[in-house]
Amino acid sequence: MNITIKCFASLARFTPAEADAFPLAPGETVAELIARLGIPPEEIKLVFVNGNHVEVGTVLTPGDRVGLFPAVGGG
Amino acid sequence: MEPASGQESGFAHVPGLAQALSRLSRQETLPDGRLRPCLPLAVAEELALSLRLPLAQVEIAALELGIAPERYLRNFDTYTLAEQALLLASSVALVGLGGLGGYVLELLARAGVGGVTAADGDEFAPSNLNRQLYCTSRSLGGFKAAAAAARVERVNPAVVFTPVAAFLDEANMARLLGGAQLCIDALGGLTDRPALARAAGAAGIPLLTAAVAGQGGYVATVLPGQPSPADFFGPEASAPAENTLGTPGPAVCAASAILAGEALNILCGRAPALAGSMLLFDLSRMSFETVRL
Repeated sequence: MNITIKCFASLARFTPAEADAFPLAPGETVAELIARLGIPPEEIKLVFVNGNHVEVGTVLTPGDRVGLFPAVGGG
Repeated sequence: MEPASGQESGFAHVPGLAQALSRLSRQETLPDGRLRPCLPLAVAEELALSLRLPLAQVEIAALELGIAPERYLRNFDTYTLAEQALLLASSVALVGLGGLGGYVLELLARAGVGGVTAADGDEFAPSNLNRQLYCTSRSLGGFKAAAAAARVERVNPAVVFTPVAAFLDEANMARLLGGAQLCIDALGGLTDRPALARAAGAAGIPLLTAAVAGQGGYVATVLPGQPSPADFFGPEASAPAENTLGTPGPAVCAASAILAGEALNILCGRAPALAGSMLLFDLSRMSFETVRL
């Protein structure tokens, strides 16, 4: 069962090849997913699942849309 | 000149204004074939001069008579006559006059937002030329606030623009926000954004905030008491994405257009479309999505 992953801005370099159909491990949390993607946790400031801001302890379910957003401040 | 906010309609008090507006307006045919009474640009400015009235007040008086000032003609029906009058009587605080702030100010001025108080203590440098609308070979080295004031005067003299060529601490942010209906965060970097969000919350007004990195960015509307995106980002030391991706013009301009569109939503009396939400965009994939914060 799969999820979709979107890595924004400077996190784009961590986007997995199968971002639109990424295999989910059973019971996997956002934090575990972040570790599996090799993203330093401190680089992620906001996590969205299905369009809602969530904490990294959130357990993911098949079909979830995960968005990872870094600190962005440019103007 | 008095600030536009709280301004009363002129025609009820100024002898002859209503008659002059009716006499000097002309019928314009809109692209869909409708006729609309229109106040020619030069006539509006001459009336304001001859009657010693603020231009915005003359335009509001015309709008209340069902006459569209010519410069706003192409906004109908997106902004109705009544909404245009609200815009002319509205007042905004804008912090930052660089990349985001320049484009936002340009759009607010062209829309006829009657009062804009804007602060930036910075001067234009050559590295601003990639994205900052008011940074040109002529304005390099000068205050951004001064270039903005000169531009607004040329774009729309109905706008009462108050430039503040200073960097603001939180107390001065609070002063800048006094009397404004909403605050626009057009700052660069992460350092000052949480303080501005606090100041807007304390003033009880909506904060519109945006930031970009590379081809992506966000725009959010923060109502008093709600969290702001910058609250989650930490201080400048947290290496924001623009430190590597930079701030190219298209993302800056896109974020500014969304900021201005949302500002006009609010100022003409509609519900903010992004309240409690962030619009995330990425021009490299042309993706736009709205998430709840």
